[in-house]
Order: sequence, then C-alpha cells, then structure tokens
Amino acid sequence: MNAFDHWALSGAVFIPILGAVLLAFVPKRLEVEIKAVALLTTVVTAGVGVYLLAHFDYDKTHQLQYAVDRSWIDVISSRYHIGLDGISLPMLALSMFISVLCIVYSWDHFPEPHNPKAFLILLLVLETGMNGTFVAQDLILFFVFFELVLLPMYFMIGVWGGPNRQYASIKFFLVTLFGSALMILSFLALYFKVTLPDGSHTFDIVKLASVHGAGIAHGAQLLIFGGLFIGFAIKVPMFPFHTWLPDAHTEAPTVGSVILAAILLKLGTYGFIRIAIPILPEAAKSWAPWIGVLAVIGIIYGALGCLAQRDMKRLIAFSSIAHMGFVMLGISTLTTYGINAAIFGMVAHGLITGMLFFLAGSIQERFHTRELDRLGGLLLQAPRMGWILGFCAMASLGLPGLAGFWGEFPAILSTYSPAVGLNLALFRTFMVIASIGTVLAAGYLLWMLQRVAFGTVKAEFEHEHIHDMHGPEYLAWTPILVLIVLLGVVPGIVFRVTDKPVQKVTVAHVEQRRSVVTGQTAVGQP
Amino acid sequence: MHALLAVASSFTGPRLDYHALAPEIILTATLVLVLLADLVLEERNQWLISNLAGIGVLASVIPIITLAVQNHAARSMAGGAYVVDDFSLVLKALFLGIGYVVLLMSTNYVEEGDYYQGEYYFLLLASLLGMVVMASARDLITIFVALETLSIPAYMLAGWRKRDLKSNEAAIKYYLLGVLASAVMLYGMSLVFGYTGSTVLTEIGKQVNGSITHKPVITLGIFFIVIGFAFKVSAVPFHFWAPDTYEGSPTPVTAFLSVASKTAGFVALLELIYVGFLGRNDVWGPMFWVLAALTMTVGNLIALRQTNVVRLLAYSSIAQAGYVLVPFAVAGDNIAARRSSFTAAVVYLMIYAAMNLGAFSVVIAVARKTRSGDISSYGGLFEYAPGLTVAMTVFLFALAGIPPAGGWFAKLMVFRAVLDSGTTWAVVLGVIAGVNSVIALYYYAAVAREMWMSPVPDGDVTPVRVPAPLLASLGLTGLVVMAIGVYPQLFAHFGDLGTLVR
Amino acid sequence: MPLALSAVLAASAAGTSSDSSAFLRQYLTVAIFAAAAVVMVGAMLGLGRLLRPSRPQEQKSIAYESGVDPVGQGWSQSQVRYYVFALLFVMFDVEAVFIFPWATRLEAMGTYGLVEMAIFIGILVLGLVYAWRKGVLRWV
Repeated sequence: MNAFDHWALSGAVFIPILGAVLLAFVPKRLEVEIKAVALLTTVVTAGVGVYLLAHFDYDKTHQLQYAVDRSWIDVISSRYHIGLDGISLPMLALSMFISVLCIVYSWDHFPEPHNPKAFLILLLVLETGMNGTFVAQDLILFFVFFELVLLPMYFMIGVWGGPNRQYASIKFFLVTLFGSALMILSFLALYFKVTLPDGSHTFDIVKLASVHGAGIAHGAQLLIFGGLFIGFAIKVPMFPFHTWLPDAHTEAPTVGSVILAAILLKLGTYGFIRIAIPILPEAAKSWAPWIGVLAVIGIIYGALGCLAQRDMKRLIAFSSIAHMGFVMLGISTLTTYGINAAIFGMVAHGLITGMLFFLAGSIQERFHTRELDRLGGLLLQAPRMGWILGFCAMASLGLPGLAGFWGEFPAILSTYSPAVGLNLALFRTFMVIASIGTVLAAGYLLWMLQRVAFGTVKAEFEHEHIHDMHGPEYLAWTPILVLIVLLGVVPGIVFRVTDKPVQKVTVAHVEQRRSVVTGQTAVGQP
Repeated sequence: MHALLAVASSFTGPRLDYHALAPEIILTATLVLVLLADLVLEERNQWLISNLAGIGVLASVIPIITLAVQNHAARSMAGGAYVVDDFSLVLKALFLGIGYVVLLMSTNYVEEGDYYQGEYYFLLLASLLGMVVMASARDLITIFVALETLSIPAYMLAGWRKRDLKSNEAAIKYYLLGVLASAVMLYGMSLVFGYTGSTVLTEIGKQVNGSITHKPVITLGIFFIVIGFAFKVSAVPFHFWAPDTYEGSPTPVTAFLSVASKTAGFVALLELIYVGFLGRNDVWGPMFWVLAALTMTVGNLIALRQTNVVRLLAYSSIAQAGYVLVPFAVAGDNIAARRSSFTAAVVYLMIYAAMNLGAFSVVIAVARKTRSGDISSYGGLFEYAPGLTVAMTVFLFALAGIPPAGGWFAKLMVFRAVLDSGTTWAVVLGVIAGVNSVIALYYYAAVAREMWMSPVPDGDVTPVRVPAPLLASLGLTGLVVMAIGVYPQLFAHFGDLGTLVR
Repeated sequence: MPLALSAVLAASAAGTSSDSSAFLRQYLTVAIFAAAAVVMVGAMLGLGRLLRPSRPQEQKSIAYESGVDPVGQGWSQSQVRYYVFALLFVMFDVEAVFIFPWATRLEAMGTYGLVEMAIFIGILVLGLVYAWRKGVLRWV
C-alpha cells in the first residue's frame, strides 16, 4: 500500500468538509465562485473515489482495503478505523456520485431563500457524513458520522423546505435522534458485553463481527439488537417508524429529497448489514421474522399509501417505504442471496427514486404545484421530461432490464428459502405478500405516470410556456439514466463486488445451513 | 500550662511551597492592582482595568504550566489541607480559562453599562481566587473558606446592575439561598468534624472507612454536606434560586455563575466524595441518584416552556448539572465505575464550560443589537448574522450532545460510567439520561429553528457588530468545542487523573 | 470567692468517668461563669436599689440627650452616613481584635508573624484607601 492509498480513503471522507471550510471564507456575493468551489470539491472527491474503485482489488472484496487504523480516543479504546470492502464500495460510490449530480442540478435551481453558500456548505458537510458512515469500521466513529448527517439535513429541510418545513424538520430530527440514543446505548452495551478472545473490549466492528457476539446471554443479545434495530429501522424507515419520512420528503427541497432518498435511507439498511447482523447473528435470527413482518407490512402499506396520495412528492416518499420494505425483506432472510439483493436494491432505489425526486422537483419548479389533480399532459408540454418520468416509473416498478428489477425480484425470491432456523412457511407467506406488493407498485406508478404525463394539459397551464429540460438537468440526469440501464443489463458489476463480503456477513447462518440441509447451498449470484 | 507554652514558643511557620502557590499569589496581586488601578485611573482610562485583569489571569496560568511540566509528586501543604496535584492543576487551569473567557465576554458589556467598572473586575477576580483555592482544598475548613471566597463576590456581582429591579432580585435570592446552603453545609461539616476529630479529608476518609463507618451522626453529616452543595450546583429540588438569579444578573455574570460557580461546587463534591466519604456510598449513592434523576428531568421539562433565551440556558444548565450528577450516583458501585465516574465528571465539566460559555457569548453578542433576550428576537438571525448563527448552532447542538460538536463525548463518558457500574439502578439512571437528552434536543433545536427558519421579527437586518473581545471568546470556546468533538483524546486524558481515586 | 470557684473547676475537671461526660463537664465551667456573672450584676443592682432613696419625677424618666430636651419619637430614621461609620468602625475593630493576641506572641512568631500581619494590615489599608478614594470619608 503506497502513501496515497493510505490517505485516499480519508481524503474521500474529509475533502468535502475541507471544501466546506474553504467555502465559508468565500464572500457571499461571489455566487459563481461558490458554486465552482463546491462542484470542484465534489468532483475531486469523486476523483478520489474513481481512484479507489480503480485500484480496488476485486478478488478480495471481502477484505478491508485502504484500511487505516490509528488511535483516536484511547480513553474509551475507540480507534480511527476506516476501510473499504465490497459492501461499502457501492454505497460510497453512490454517495459521491449523487453528491456531484446534486450540485450540478442545483446550479441555477437554488430553492428559496436562495443563499447558495450556506446550502452548498451543508451539502458538503452532508457528504462527509455519508462517506464517513460507509467506511467507518469503529462503532463510535460510525456513530459520529451517522449523526453528522443529521444536522445539515435538518437545516436543509428547515430552511429551504416547503411551507410546513419547520414541523417536518423537527420531526425528522427528533425521531432520528431518538433512534440514535438507543443505538449508542447498544453500541456501549456491545463494548462492555462482548469479550474478545484476548479478554479485551473493543468498538472495532471487524473484531466484534469476528466473534459473533460470543459471551452475551441470549436475552441481552435480543435487547441490544432491539436497540440497534430501532436506531436503524427509524433511518430506513421501516413501517411503524416511518412517519417522519413523508413529511420530510414533501417539505425538503429537491436536492434534499434526492439525498435523503438516495443515501440517507441507506444508512439504516447499511447499519443492519454492517453492524447488527454480523455482530449479533443469534439475535438476528430471533428478530428476523419480526423484521420480515414489518418489511412486508411496509411494502403493502407503502403501496396503499401511494394510492391515496394527491401530492407527487408524497407519493414517491411512500413508494420509498415500499421499496425499502423489499430491501429489508431481503435482509430478513439472513441469506447471502437475500442480502446481496438488498444491497442491489439499495443502489437501485438510490438511483431510481433519486431520479424521481429530481423529476418531481423540476415539475414543481415549472408548474408551481405537485398536486396530481392539477398536473397532466407533461408529454405534450415537455416531452423529454415526460419520457424520462415514464422510464423511471418503469425502472421503479421493477421492469426486467432496468436496475429496479435486480433489487426487487431476488429479494422476493430469497424468501423462498430463508436461513436455516427461520420459519419456512412464514417466509413463503412473506413472498406471496411481497409479490402482491409488486403488482400494487406497478399500479400506483403507472397511475402516477398516467396522471402526470398522459392526458391533456389542464386548463390553468394551457397557455403557459413550459420549458423542457435545461442544461444542468441534462448533465445531472444522463449519468443516472445510463447507470439505471447499465445496472439493469449487467447486474453482475454490483453482485460481483458484494457477494464475498456478504458471505462473510451470513457466515454464521450459512454454515448451519450446509450442515443441516445438504445440497441446498446459498446462492451468491443470481 | 507549661507544656502549652513550650509548644507555642517553638512556633515554626507552615512551610509554604511558593511555586505551588504562585497562581493564587499572582491572582491576589492582580486583584489588588485592579482595585488600585480603579482608584487612580480616570474615567476615560478605565478600559485598562479589564486588560490588567486579563493579563493577571493569563499570568497565573504560567506557574500552572511550569508545575505541570515538572512532573513533581503531589505538593502537600498545611498537613494535607492544601494539595497541589495533577487534579488541582487541571482544574485551576480550567477555572482560569473560564475566568479569562468571562473577562473577554464582560469587557464591552461592562464598558457600555453605566455602573462601576473597577469593582466588577475586582469581584470577578476575587471569586476566581476562591475557585482556584477550591481546586486545591483537601480540608473541610479550606473548602468552606474557598466556597465563601467564591460565593460572596458572586452575590455582589449578581446585583451589579443596582438600579435594575431584576438584578436586585437576583442578588438577594442568590445571597439568601447561598447563605442557607452554607449554613446547612457547615452544620454537616461540624458533625463530621465532631466525630472524626479532624478536618483533613484524608484523615476523615480513613475513619469513615474504618472504625466509625456506621455512626448515624456521620450519615447525617454527609447528608447535610451533600444537600448544601446541591444548592450550590442548583440540583433539583434545591434549584429555585437559579433561574431568577441567572435572568436578573448581568449576562456575563450569569455565564460565570452557571459555569464556574457550578464547576467549583462539583469540584468540592469530587474532593469530599472521593477523598473523604468514599466508604459511605450507601449514603450519598442514593442521594445523588435521586438528585440526578430529578435534576435532569425537571430541568429539561421546564426548559421546554421557556421563551427567554437566558432562562432557557439557565434551565438547560440545571439539566446539564443533572448529567454531571449521574457519575456521582454510580461512583460507589465498583472500582471500574469509580474510576470512570471520576473521569466522566471532570471531562463533562470541562466540555460543559466551553459550550455553555460559547452559548452565552452569542447571547451577549445578539443582545447588543436586539436589546432583548426573547427567543423570538432570534428570528432570522441567519440572514444578518450567519457567523453568530453557526456558532450558536454549534454550541446548542454541543449541549444537546450531537456529534461532531463536543458535547457528545461528555455524554458518552457518562454512559460509560453507568455501564461500568452495571447495576440495575445505574442502568435505569442511564436510560433516564438518554430519554432526557432527546427531550433536551427539542428546546435546543427550537432556538436553532428560530435562528435559521423564522423571519426577522422587526425586519431590521443590519448586521450585528461583534467587538473583538467577544469575538475572541466566541473563537476560543468554538475551537475547544469542535476540537473536543472531533478529537476527544486531546482533552480526555485530563480527566484521567487518578490522584483522587483510590 | 475565687478559691471556691477554682475548687469547683478542679472537681469538674478531675471526675472523668467517660469521654462524653468529660466533654460536657467542660461546658460546666461556662455555666458556672455565666451564673457568677448573673449573680454579681444582680447583687450590685439589687443592693443599690435597697440602699438609694426613691423620689420619682417625670423629668427623670425622659431620655437624656446632651442636656437638651428630646424632640420627636424615639424611632426616628438615622442618617445613612452613620452606616459607613459603622462599617469603618468594624474594619478597625476587627483589626484590633486580631492585633492584640498577635502582639503578645510576636516574639515567638518572629519574621513570619511580622510579614503575615503586614499582609493583613495591608489588605485593610487597601480597603481604607478604597473608601477614601470613593469619597466615603467626606461628610457631605
């Protein structure tokens, strides 16, 4: 590992915040310079990301690469331990990618009250938080980055949001913080309860995962997992904890919604895969049916919720609940197959729903409304945008050949044979219900498409000039659309990276399976 | 009679280690100079006084540094009544740091107010002297003298704006309840002295652990001493003076009271509990448990309803005192908890000082323009004072415990102490603390929301002019808060001074 | 009388049956002195009353104020300036209270004692200078 490799990952995390500090010193009136600095920062970060991707050893995706392990807070034996493996890689890439596009998109679309300087500083701080969470290999470090994300998003919603922004932002903040409080208590409990073979205690995720929660009584495991579960499930969000999401999404500015949908929600599911399941496999097994139940409730509830919406953004928000339900369903099977599907689902949902929120934002900007009743005939007034909306709706409902399919379909399939010890009948019931969910998804997405894009233009907008896509929109959206197709056609790019580390996550369950059910091994690649 | 005379005639003065006493001596010299300067300087040269005070405080830090780098064993004086060890050095430095920041905050406030200037700095330094002594006191009488030295000037400082009714109310309430607390505490001390026959804490510690462990009088003595200090640190249900005093006092004094005075109370408690009464955690453990739980909960719940930012910070500082009381409640459970509780309390006090002083600096800066302490007057602050807004946001979320601003580490250390103890009661207290930090977020976020998301109430968006001293105090506190948040190790080992932990 | 008193004192000091009663017996001394004081004052006043002639007149019960007839009520407000006098008096009084015992032991304490007292007086002087500069000593 050369010197640059050593610093590269830290660079990917901290370059954005350095950019934010730099931005703080640029006078407010130099808007173009501000935007340029911000864009340059994210591009440089993404450049580092490209370097990381290029030099990543794809044969050893299960190992931490570019790992840095330095002392940080000795008092509580927490270390600055970061590293990149096959699970982190797609998430980190997604985060960097979306950050660049968000700045490109908002180039001349800054929501009221304008102030690009503050907006971009928050965006860059947000990127540091997201990137850091995806590479942190120490529970305390993870917690710090996880929380770092909270503040910028709170302000982004609260300052640049819609009319009901104050309520939405504080709700988002309080609910998430409640989860965090339980999460940090669980982290501390893990520190105290898990004893490594050499008798020491640690916050190191890799070391904790290697002992599979040895030495903790089953009851305590269940409680600790419960704390983690609530912390992460609020972020995902899973069914009973989802109430903050529709409000936050509806009120957030476009870019905020995109980042929220594309990346912040993934912090929760990523937490399950990175922390909760590998560290406490036994408790995971006991909790899995409940996770599964909540996941399918989320799928159906989200879909039905969509059908009742009159606001386009709210509809997409509810569809997020449904889609994250599929991701959680995949995770709840505790199989390599299911979790691979979940990670793919996370990436795909990030791209597709992010794209849908971009579209909703652009539509709102043109029509000054998101109400489905007032919209119509987008294809007549802005045909390119209309077709892109159609494309994204198709991708979102899981059309084979597009990215959405590879997240949804294998997740459903994985419930056919969940990890050993899980109730087969129950999970197959989940499968049936989730399949109904896909039908409903097709229903609401096509319904939305029909009302927004098809039909005739409503009288109030008949004589208005609706501009089709702008330059920044072309620039921001094309890469996403290309990726949606690319991942749909060659899903192996992601699966190849995630498979080995996921096997490591499920190793506790897979070994049992092989010993009990012969000939039915977990399949990594679909 | 002859024996007595013989003892007296062979009188030798106590051996004084002037190096170890240098901070106190420099500080005393400074306050004498400040008083003299006030007498000889003309009105237009009065600004010199605050500079003189500031230089004096900084000069007192120098011997602390030279003492610290010497790595000398603890220097004990007057038969163990006055000890200069690592713990006291760190806390002296903390008190002087707080004092310096408060001086920075006061400079313009005092200059622009039409009350006496010289007396203000004199009293502030006198109070500071009491605190610096407190950090070294290991003896009931020394603790009491230090406490009175720091309290009496503070009573007068609270009433500094003497033509303002609220300031009068602040001073008289603070004075009456302070005296009451002193009396209760002194009664407890006399009981302890009466039974142990000594005022030196190490001696008391030996006896409390040994022969007289379960004498009811000792129990009563500890009880009264803890109650007395509960007044001083404004723990619920002995907090009633705090909000009125904080609101009525001049704002820099409020900052000083809510940070330095409170810290001094906790320092005394650390000394008493860890050196004197370690063997009787059956008495103080449950007391602190109840005090901590009540203080956190009541402080936070009342803070939710405040509309004045100073009152809000007052109740928030009550709640914060509750978090500091948590480690005290679990300190007696086992050795690991004893160590980590000590660290947690010291680290919490240090971080709390930085974040609370920072918040008060912003309050002073904003009040220079709005002339108001209402939370609603913070509306739209972001539009015309983005720097202050960001600083206030950092301090508020540090107080709430959100990373990466410093407060999270303090809370983490408290939770660690709780889990080190591991008893059911400790965990219940930990959960109460956890729930409270979520409640607290609501009112901290409410101020942030006002600043960032509400319109300017009177439409006046002329920028706030922040004078240089205030800017310096903002910068210092902000830097410390962020540095602790990002790299806690920098400060964490200050709390790891086991000199009091046996 | 002094002989009898010292005999009682000796008796009280000698009988040490237990620690706490010895402790209490120390207070007996205080009680005896207090009783002696009351008896002595009572005896002198009582004796005077028995011996002196008694011819009451109205003028005799008027408060004596430098030979001038008193004006107004006894409960009149006094000048706030006297308050400052009282404070200054306390200052010097406390000083004297500390200086007297110190003076008797000065030889034993030597230079150390001298320096200590210099510091003590220095602080009080500082207070006096402060009062002087603030115009407290001027009667206006």
